[in-house]
Amino acid sequence: MIVDDFDPHALAEQDFLDEVHSFQFWFDSVEGYLSDRPYGRLETTVDEQLDDARRERLITTLCNYSVGETAALEGAAGLVQLAPDRNSKIFMATQVADEARHLEVFLHRLRELGVADPEREIERRAQPALVDFKGALLDLIGEGDWQAGVFAQNVILETMEYTVFRLHAATADPVTKDVLAGVISDERRHAGFGENDLGRSLAVDPSGRIRLREIRNQLDAMVVGVFEGALADVGAPADSSSELAGEYLDTIERLGLT
Amino acid sequence: MAQFLAQYSIQRWMEMCPQGYLEDTVYGHEPSEHEPEQLLEDDDEREAAIRTTVGLVVGERCALAASSGLINAAPDYPSKRFLATQTLDEARHVEVFTQRLFDLGVKPDDLESTIDRYANPNLVKFAEVLLEKVSNGDFIAGVVGQNIVLEGLAFSVFEMLEAGSREFNPKFAHTLSGTIADERRHVGFGENRIGSLIQQHPEKKAEIERMQQEMTYYMLAVFADSFRGPQNTPKSAPEPTARAEWHGTNLSTASPEEMEEVLATTVLGEFKTRLARVGLEYQTPRVPA
Repeated sequence: MIVDDFDPHALAEQDFLDEVHSFQFWFDSVEGYLSDRPYGRLETTVDEQLDDARRERLITTLCNYSVGETAALEGAAGLVQLAPDRNSKIFMATQVADEARHLEVFLHRLRELGVADPEREIERRAQPALVDFKGALLDLIGEGDWQAGVFAQNVILETMEYTVFRLHAATADPVTKDVLAGVISDERRHAGFGENDLGRSLAVDPSGRIRLREIRNQLDAMVVGVFEGALADVGAPADSSSELAGEYLDTIERLGLT
Repeated sequence: MAQFLAQYSIQRWMEMCPQGYLEDTVYGHEPSEHEPEQLLEDDDEREAAIRTTVGLVVGERCALAASSGLINAAPDYPSKRFLATQTLDEARHVEVFTQRLFDLGVKPDDLESTIDRYANPNLVKFAEVLLEKVSNGDFIAGVVGQNIVLEGLAFSVFEMLEAGSREFNPKFAHTLSGTIADERRHVGFGENRIGSLIQQHPEKKAEIERMQQEMTYYMLAVFADSFRGPQNTPKSAPEPTARAEWHGTNLSTASPEEMEEVLATTVLGEFKTRLARVGLEYQTPRVPA
């Protein structure tokens, strides 16, 4: 099925879920924006010469993206085990591959920038707030809590990443911009799944909101820390913090978790 | 190690699968292909196909749980990334075989009850032995169980089913061809990655060999259940076809006993070879009753 010619929103709810959570849908989606882009970049894109300060900042940024993507990869892998139905399991499996691809393209970009041992560099430059967030996310998933895991992973983490990547892409060098474009398309799908899944389960059982608000309260300090660190890394002006927080707060509000 | 693991990157996977042998397929086969009318109209044949496909779904669900579960236990980024592609492959296999159940007339609401009804209990036990290692975070045992034992079994079963379906059911044969290509990659990773880890952890050998022995026992029991007894005797003599030749046996004319023999011999032969390559010795299980 060609995604461009097809509107899944015209389907009845169960048919819609069968469609958009399938491998086949994922396959058709990524084919559109990943074909002929080795490691996420168009072969025709010319790399820009970066000055030392900008290169240094970009390395720190990419190291932290790699921490986020490792968290997302391990989180999504854990959520495959917890998924309550076949469609969610298959969607999460596609997300596992997406997150692994993101990690791979960021590591590849780090090597292009001259980082010989990206894994060591990531450890050295990782933001403490992001590392703490990763630990908290994996703990929630380790406790076997699907709803909390989806909230932390597909709503909070994916919204953070989606927002930061978009902000960064606006001012990034051409190759990094290419790489981010594919990643952003994936993150939009992941965040959409999270909001849709939680929205449906909270509509059936609104009592879940109380627990998710508690989780949000526990994670908020880390989220703020991650946003502040990301802003500094990408060299964004201070007034973009409201734009960053805005995306996150809008999602939280739509789910009734304010 | 790094050089061999580069062959298992997401980039390589993208080039080989979505942009390679899966391009222009729908649920693993050509869009114009369908299950044969003859199969859909014969209740016994259709039930046998459902039973076989349920076995494939159960095996692939186990593989999906195992490959995703091993990501967090993997000791390095390249292994995590490979297992991510394997997770997606296994999810695709679950999807295409589930879709085949729907194509065979199983209603979506009856999917789980159909799987419960036809799932072979020995296959479920086979899966449980592996998933216990995975849930304990035992990467080495998990990869041997998943990528050598389970995938080795799947590889041979798929090959046999593919050879037996080429003439009569090209749709199913094509679906199987894609999964065989995937399984070949998975088995290759298992052999390449695990050999060095076994060398580093020789103390794990005995435990892993016990796991292999237990899994092999349940596998042989599945074969026995699948090929023995009057319910597994074909009701009519099939059309002989030279294209159904597999490991010296013509599957279109072989008796159930001959098919069990050729499958067991092939799988066990593969196990012995692959286990020896990673430094493990094949352990013969007791013979299932």
